[in-house]
Amino acid sequence: MSKVDPVLLEIVSHALVSAAEEMSITVWRTSRSTTVRELLDYSTAVFDGNGRNVAQAARMPVHLNSMELCLQEIITHHLPLERWHEGDVVVTNDPYSGGQHLPDFLAFKPVFVDGRRIAITCVLIHHVDVGGGAAGGYNAHAVEIFQEGLRLPPVKIVRRGEMMDDLFATILQNVREPETFRGDFLSQVAALEVGARAIRALAGRYGVETLSEVGAALLDHSEHAMRVALTALPDGVYAAEDFVDGDGMDEGQKRIAVTLTISGDSIAIDFAGSSPQARGPINATMATTKSAVYYAVIAASGIEATANSGCYRPITVTAPQGSLVNAGFPAPVSMRMLTGHRIATAVLKAFAEAVPNRIPASYYGVTFNHAVNIRHADGRRQVYFDAEIGGWGGHPEADGPSGLSAGFHNGQNTPIEMIEAIFPLRFERYAFLPDSGGAGRMRGGLGLVREWRFMAEHGLLNASFDAFLSRPYGLSGGEPGRGGRLSVIRGAEVTELKAKTIGFPLRSGDIVRMETPGGGGHGDPAARDPAAILADRADGYVS
Amino acid sequence: MTPRRIRIAVDIGGTFTDLEFLDEASGKTHSFKTATTPDDPSLGLMNAIHGAASRFGFALPDVSLLMHGTTIATNTVLTRNLPEGALITTAGFEDVLEIGRHARSEIYRLKSEPRAALVPRRRRFGVVERIGPVGEVLTELDAASVDDAIDKVAASSASVCAIALLNGFTNPAHEIAIRDRLRQRLPDIAVSCSHEVSPEIREFERTSTTVLNALLIPVVRRYIDALLERIASEGLSAPLYLVQSNGGATTPRAASEAPVKLLLSGPSGGVLAAEGVARLLGFANVVGVDMGGTSYDVAVIRDGVRTVVTQGDVDGLPVRVPMVDMRTIGAGGGSIASLDTSGRLQVGPRSAGAKPGPVCYGRGGTEPTVTDVNLILGRLDPVTFLGGTFALDLDGARAALDRRIAEPLGLDRDRAASGILAVVVAKLAGAIKLSLFERGLDPRDFALMSFGGAGGLHAVEVAEELGMTTVIFPKDPSTFSAHGILQSDVVHDLARTKVLPLKPGASPALRDLAAELLREGEALLAADGLSGGRCRLDLAADLRYRGQAFELLVPLGTAPDDDAQLEALCQRFHELHRQRFSFDDPSETVELVTLRLAAIGMLGGMAATSAPTPGPSTPLLDRAVHLNGGWTSAPVHQQDSLAAGTRIRGPAIIEQAYTTLLIPAGWSLDVAESGDLIAMRELGA
Repeated sequence: MSKVDPVLLEIVSHALVSAAEEMSITVWRTSRSTTVRELLDYSTAVFDGNGRNVAQAARMPVHLNSMELCLQEIITHHLPLERWHEGDVVVTNDPYSGGQHLPDFLAFKPVFVDGRRIAITCVLIHHVDVGGGAAGGYNAHAVEIFQEGLRLPPVKIVRRGEMMDDLFATILQNVREPETFRGDFLSQVAALEVGARAIRALAGRYGVETLSEVGAALLDHSEHAMRVALTALPDGVYAAEDFVDGDGMDEGQKRIAVTLTISGDSIAIDFAGSSPQARGPINATMATTKSAVYYAVIAASGIEATANSGCYRPITVTAPQGSLVNAGFPAPVSMRMLTGHRIATAVLKAFAEAVPNRIPASYYGVTFNHAVNIRHADGRRQVYFDAEIGGWGGHPEADGPSGLSAGFHNGQNTPIEMIEAIFPLRFERYAFLPDSGGAGRMRGGLGLVREWRFMAEHGLLNASFDAFLSRPYGLSGGEPGRGGRLSVIRGAEVTELKAKTIGFPLRSGDIVRMETPGGGGHGDPAARDPAAILADRADGYVS
Repeated sequence: MTPRRIRIAVDIGGTFTDLEFLDEASGKTHSFKTATTPDDPSLGLMNAIHGAASRFGFALPDVSLLMHGTTIATNTVLTRNLPEGALITTAGFEDVLEIGRHARSEIYRLKSEPRAALVPRRRRFGVVERIGPVGEVLTELDAASVDDAIDKVAASSASVCAIALLNGFTNPAHEIAIRDRLRQRLPDIAVSCSHEVSPEIREFERTSTTVLNALLIPVVRRYIDALLERIASEGLSAPLYLVQSNGGATTPRAASEAPVKLLLSGPSGGVLAAEGVARLLGFANVVGVDMGGTSYDVAVIRDGVRTVVTQGDVDGLPVRVPMVDMRTIGAGGGSIASLDTSGRLQVGPRSAGAKPGPVCYGRGGTEPTVTDVNLILGRLDPVTFLGGTFALDLDGARAALDRRIAEPLGLDRDRAASGILAVVVAKLAGAIKLSLFERGLDPRDFALMSFGGAGGLHAVEVAEELGMTTVIFPKDPSTFSAHGILQSDVVHDLARTKVLPLKPGASPALRDLAAELLREGEALLAADGLSGGRCRLDLAADLRYRGQAFELLVPLGTAPDDDAQLEALCQRFHELHRQRFSFDDPSETVELVTLRLAAIGMLGGMAATSAPTPGPSTPLLDRAVHLNGGWTSAPVHQQDSLAAGTRIRGPAIIEQAYTTLLIPAGWSLDVAESGDLIAMRELGA
């Protein structure tokens, strides 16, 4: 390990995380869409001058653990670092250039001191719409990425401080909510500079050399912590599988097979045996897959060290080319999140074989992303995007919490009052779903029911759901959680919709009802504490 | 002979009850300290008043005003020692309180922290009704469902009930109808309504704030009743005011109704005092820091005024009422230094607290703390610490530091100790930097004011870290909060949420809203017996760009009369946005979210305080202290022997009652006319 002064290491490390926090505060306070400002679907991080992640603001693991892969892909195959100049901002949303799906725009800014590149700041924002076949970006009918929206290869949107107005105008021309996109994007660019300013100040204070040594040491320390944690796990080969309902086109569940090999201070994760690449948009690129794996390994190892790319070094990830978890161009990927969640739960399930006292049963298994393309009577258009979550799995020592973000996602809900003030929706219900948590000695957390009435003249509903069939697994004899459901109620008529829905026409007065999955139970239900059973009945968590 | 008029402020802390009073005739202030009586704090309060009266020679009838800052609400929340409550809400939304915003803070944790709702599901009851986003009634309130809910409240174990309806802040009619019915049927149940407690958009935060308010009512009411009874029985007829989280004072009745507004009553005394000292010494921009055993509170005073926000949290619970804007981090004298599994040095947030306390207290602590390190480096005196109440174990502290930090890191003892302090200083400075960053402010435009028990040892180093050149140490930090409370004015915070784009033609709507608030504010002050020249009505607007989630508070002289004034208001918002977030967007529509009014009844403020008479000078002793990487000898001054106008050059140690100040080389310290101490970086240093 490098010999950097341990005191300086701590001081500079705090300052780097502060820089990421300042960027995060800037996005939070200045962005426009409810997706960013209420759901908090964005992340910020700091990289060293060579594009290695040294600091993160705690937000979304799915973003944070894939940013470096994207940056490395850009500098290896698209824009070598010597072409990054002071004042540039590089942006991409291309899954085949290291991204994950088109709504996520990654923006990077190099930080220079005395002509030397000493850091790169990054802000990832999930934008509310990117054009393509479905408002909100989740086109369930897409069979190739071209149907999913505007695809931006790594390009300089700002060159030496000058905004490329023609390029920006081109982007805005191709999205459904140009004003919202513009506001969120300006906030993204402003936050990059906020981080850059903090890092330049740091370099002025401690010197460029010190900053670079500290960056390297931070990675070494986190790597060391990860190796120590892995060494403490029992060596062996552990296999598990989990499932995705399907791609919305072809029949049958899709399988995610994982083999985890723990050997001394390193770990290898292989996905041989997973389903082939799907026709529909549930495919994951390696950026998604690795990001899910990194999340699961960091969580399962229980390390206390700072999460950065040093943690990834002892982890090897392999997956068959052309499979669901390593899709090739031009496979559609907009719903990659639902496969990503099941990659994480499959890896955690394999860990449960190795360290059963530490791993909970499966959480809800998928983020319920949904969007409505709204047309008002006066012709005005709006895009409403939202995401819901469900219950956690029971843990060996505790019930799973109900209705709480889990896994490699971490989002807030959007306040109903905020939605109603902006969109023509009237909520009827937002509540826990009794009996949806898997039974067990430790019960799974409850899923949620969210119901709203559509009030505008015309709307098209898009949903990127899953876990209707592939219910969140139980462990050690616990029952699986209840699966999800989506229905539209028009008068007395109830229409059950598919988990992947595109363009379902809504009329004024229709009620959209979604039920999210509960978590799996842990342990034999017969062994549950009678007092806990009574309390569950009194509170109506269990009927 | 006219009777004397004595104005008293009392701050009841965990250990001491502090009193400060102003003799209105002479303009002089004096302070007095006595032990807190935890079983009945009103006893300690009266002890303090009696003690001060006999010591300074006034009679109870001379007391014209009694002001009080209390931690009763805060302690009740921290210990979750809350009564059982019920919640009545819109049917279908009974779980909003428990679902919360459903994000988590520790993203890699697989076993979640237990999340107990303030009111369990079995006591959350829905009523059939629905109000829309602009206050329109979508579904009439169903009387049968209200009675049904009230039956369930009656049958439950609840002693309080919160009423929070969806969009209830846009039209209070249904909440009021439910409240009236509840009061009629169950007069013994204390009630809180969301439109009164926290009329702000976002249902979870408003509901949670309202529930917390209801749960605090019995505890706070009992406390205030006991206090009033005690005061009356002792023959004290002066009116009592309580200090709220926003730094303003309020009547006992209002405080009993809105106890959630007392959550920062204690700390806001310190902020008020900092505001007063800053004004007295002529500093417009000050960061006030209070470092105790476990925490570090940061508050910003800008242009002479404390900043107040409505988006705060207390112990993880959202509290959407006006509070002094305070950032708290877990760093104090008791913060523990340790190594994590990757071998990295960590200081805090774990704390040794009061028990076992630092290793040097000899009460069973085994891990080195910031206080231990200060002792090892000669910054604290093992003999005079805390007034010499007990001897400190220097050898024990050294052994713990060597074993747990110095040896594993391969550092010598002094380097390990000074390294721990450097990490602490960086953390404290980081908290200040983020507090200012959130407002787009630069630390170099501010002076630091340090007033906690543990802060004086680090304040100058924190200032150095931030490029600040002035550090203020108030003359009497041990009764600082009481000093602040004495300067409090009556403040009623009123708000109306109405989303209104500030486009040409919007000024009449804005003016109507303002007129409504002004009428209400004047009426409230009149009810307090305050009118005319003693009243001030400050309007302000929460503005944002259309679509943003957060607003910036823009002060408003009067409501804009025409489009030109409206445009000027928008311009002020653009400027503020650029300053705070480094960009603005003049082509975008600015919209009003909430119009606010602070109705202030001035209680007369504070006369200038006079300098204390220095005590007899004591012989100067020198102490070996580790500073700037090496040991040096520094003179030790007793603060109470320093006369106004004295200048001391660093390195120097100043001992105050209960605290120690450290002035490194390159800084000098001046004793101001008021007796406060001002440390400045020397030019070229």
